[in-house]
Amino acid sequence: MTDKEKRLTIWYEEMEGSDFPLVGKKNANLGEMIKAGIPVAPGFAITIYANDKFIVDTGIKAKLEKKLPEIGEVTYDTAKEASEFAMKLIENATIPADIEEAILSGYSKLCAKSQSPDCPVAVRSSGSVSMPGQMETYLNICGKKDLIDYVKKCWASAYNVEAIMYRMNKGMPFLFNIGVGIPKMVNSKVSGIIFTINPVNGDPSKISIDASYGLGEAVVSGIVTPDTYLVDKIIMEPVATKLGSKEIQCVYKKNGSDIVQVPVSEEKRSVPCLSRQEMLELARIGKVIENYYGKAYDIEFGVDADMPFPENIIILQVRPESVWSKKEAIAKTEKKKDPMDRLLSGLMTGMKLKE
Amino acid sequence: MAKNSFMDPHDVPKIPGTEGWEKMYPYQYQFTSSKEDKERAAFESDQLWFYDGLHYPIPHYPFDLIWDEAWSMTLSQYTTRHWLVPPALGIDHRIVNGYVYISPVGVADPKEIEKRVPIFMERAGYYFQNWDRLVEAWKKKMTKVINDLEAMNFTDLPEMEDISVIKEGIGKGSGYELLRKWDALIDLGLLCWQYHFEFLNLCYAVQVTFFATLNQLFPGIPPSSQVKMSAGFDPILFKPDGELIRLSKLAIDLGIENLILKPLKADQLMKELEKDAKGKEWLKELEIARYPWFYISTGTGWFHTEKSWNDDLNIPFENIRTNIKALKSGKKLGRPTEQILKERDRIATEYRNLLKTDTDREAFDQGLGLSRLVLPYAEDHNFYVEHWFHTLFWAKLRQVGKILKNAGFFEDSEDMWYLKRDEIKSALWDYVTGWTTGVKSRGPSYWPKEVEWRKKVYEKFKAWTPPAALGTPPEVVTEPFTLALWGINTNTLKSWLSGGEGSSADELQGNPGSSGTAEGKARVLKSIDQLADLKDGEILVATTTSPSWAPCFVKIAGAVTDVGGPMCHAAIVCREYGLPTVVGTGKGTQFIKTGDLIRIDGDTGIVKILKRAK
Repeated sequence: MTDKEKRLTIWYEEMEGSDFPLVGKKNANLGEMIKAGIPVAPGFAITIYANDKFIVDTGIKAKLEKKLPEIGEVTYDTAKEASEFAMKLIENATIPADIEEAILSGYSKLCAKSQSPDCPVAVRSSGSVSMPGQMETYLNICGKKDLIDYVKKCWASAYNVEAIMYRMNKGMPFLFNIGVGIPKMVNSKVSGIIFTINPVNGDPSKISIDASYGLGEAVVSGIVTPDTYLVDKIIMEPVATKLGSKEIQCVYKKNGSDIVQVPVSEEKRSVPCLSRQEMLELARIGKVIENYYGKAYDIEFGVDADMPFPENIIILQVRPESVWSKKEAIAKTEKKKDPMDRLLSGLMTGMKLKE
Repeated sequence: MAKNSFMDPHDVPKIPGTEGWEKMYPYQYQFTSSKEDKERAAFESDQLWFYDGLHYPIPHYPFDLIWDEAWSMTLSQYTTRHWLVPPALGIDHRIVNGYVYISPVGVADPKEIEKRVPIFMERAGYYFQNWDRLVEAWKKKMTKVINDLEAMNFTDLPEMEDISVIKEGIGKGSGYELLRKWDALIDLGLLCWQYHFEFLNLCYAVQVTFFATLNQLFPGIPPSSQVKMSAGFDPILFKPDGELIRLSKLAIDLGIENLILKPLKADQLMKELEKDAKGKEWLKELEIARYPWFYISTGTGWFHTEKSWNDDLNIPFENIRTNIKALKSGKKLGRPTEQILKERDRIATEYRNLLKTDTDREAFDQGLGLSRLVLPYAEDHNFYVEHWFHTLFWAKLRQVGKILKNAGFFEDSEDMWYLKRDEIKSALWDYVTGWTTGVKSRGPSYWPKEVEWRKKVYEKFKAWTPPAALGTPPEVVTEPFTLALWGINTNTLKSWLSGGEGSSADELQGNPGSSGTAEGKARVLKSIDQLADLKDGEILVATTTSPSWAPCFVKIAGAVTDVGGPMCHAAIVCREYGLPTVVGTGKGTQFIKTGDLIRIDGDTGIVKILKRAK
């Protein structure tokens, strides 16, 4: 085993896409994005090896291996029994000191980075095989004790009934170690969506940014009229800024992951929610993402309140643009015999002053 | 219902106490009453006239109207009589209370437009095909005009003619020579302006049509993209600044930078440098740089009030000090030409790569090709004419002013600017015939009183705010300069119709110059002498800026100018420096006071006063 394979935690920026057997696909993908220059929330992965070491050192693995033959043929009922047995074992176990230390040391570094002692993080399951939605993700976990508890819950979620059934149906083994991602919760003071084209007319030379105060839900679900910033993609100059009304913002309820809506002050509503610097950085990242994937993208971002610029710009989710990318290209200009002919026709058209 | 026309040009109120002002300017510049000429008055009412705040932030001194007359003749002449631009005639000029209003004229009859097409294609086509050769010839012609001007000198008439006039059988006198030279001086000025427009109408035609194509391809593309992908030469206008950087580096290399950093006036400093061997070496290089690069004006060059570096060496010395300090703190100065070239090609390639059809790619290539051909001229002619020639021209005129002052025509030689150029010719006649006859001229009893009255009128003009536009907007504008230089479009018209200013009393509407927003304390500079007052992070508010202001751009947060459109030099320079800039606010230097907290938006052209200084 190489050194990396024996590590208990690995920071996102140390990973690459091919590390998915060590940390799971979701985690490895984040590492790959960082390599491509796309800023994601700071964080680290608890490795699949750590999960394995945990169940071995605590004797859980042996107990499970012994229990399995007793359960017999896989049905919904037997899966339920196996699930309860496994999850209880994992949730009630004490994490061995070396593993706990590794997790908490990573957490402390994250807390230092965001300058808050009990920095909220997410605890995200990340399997080496993609099993969409089968395992748990917990948001807004604060403090060492909760973190350790939720890491165990996350490991245990690999043994919830749906996950067991899914694996059985795919002919995968019962025993399944997963990676866990511990990213800082993005404390978005501003968030929104970047389109790497102008979504209004499909113009590929623009980057359009919709942004409003608070969490992204307000913009994504259309509860507010956000600011819209249009930036020229080639020379990276702002072309137009349209201020939105931005009446409310979504924030987390204190000590919880529930989202509530609160009003935005008159003063903040009347000014752009992004600084010029932030807007240009978002546009730059939009271009990086488009170049990386080779097509127009639709990108969710947050501007973190706990970190300084430019680390505060965080990409939350990316997906290919789906409307204009599917349209057939048609010429926007007319064909002309030669440059003089084009010049002449331009002069003849002039500029209409009345609509 | 929204208003859709402006005040009739014949209804502009007169300013009390200025009655009779019309005689200060040529008669054809007046709007005509329908009693005098029904047809001309009706034409005037049906045209759109807009105040040329782009060039003229102040009312015209009678003499300075010479350049307005010069371009009135020449710009129009090329469109109408040389190229026969099919849908466009020239730009007509009028003056109201000292302010120049201009109006693009179109060709109304479609049949006439059709007839002009083949003529235009042949003539413009010839220039495009032979562009580089013709531009080279132009440079020779311009250099000759400048050399001829430089060789001219005006002195007081002698007590008696030199004996050589007798012995060489010259057969003509100094009075005649003075009048002849005056005519020659004015002729050179007009000739220089003939050359000014030799290529310019075609340049603007290219820029307007390429920008229209770019807007079809990439709606809302910033004007600076067009400039950036067409540029890539080494524009002459950046040479003076380059020379200052060279001199600053040289001072450091020679180890005399501390001497230059001493806060001495230019003449004292030069004496100090003269005493030092290294200093002497540096002064030699300074002399080389001065001709012609220090002829750069600190303004647009349009007014006699604007100084060049050669007129006041304190200005370049102050810039050199700023440069030296910047260099010593490890900053890099200068224009990275190679990088700009590379950037130009990157920008053009990236836009082109976004195009998805052959038709669009061809349209882009054709426009870009012509744009790259013409832009160097569009940039460079300015230094030759408005900076180099004008600077010398104002200096020669001051020699004439001095002669008339010495002859008692003026109390101050600067009074000459209150006379039309034809009136100076008359005054010189008066002076010469008094001299030839050996009697007192009438001038000393006539002009001082007249000038005093004109000065009062001029001050009243200055206090008056000219309306942005007069008359009736047309359906379509086809005149290339109106579109590219003055940036007339539906938005400008709307803003003018709503009063020309922003939506509230603390807002000012200008043109977007260089994108971005900036907030900071305003520093209103009425002249370049005050440049040293600028503090870090302030927003510069000035009538105009020229590349000679560049050294101060490293410390300010943004700039606001009274004059200029998106293609103007202030805008181009500020974009190079990435400075948020609003140009063409008209009255920025009057509306904003030093110390006001202001916010400027270089994307929308809005300047807002957040807090007035106490």
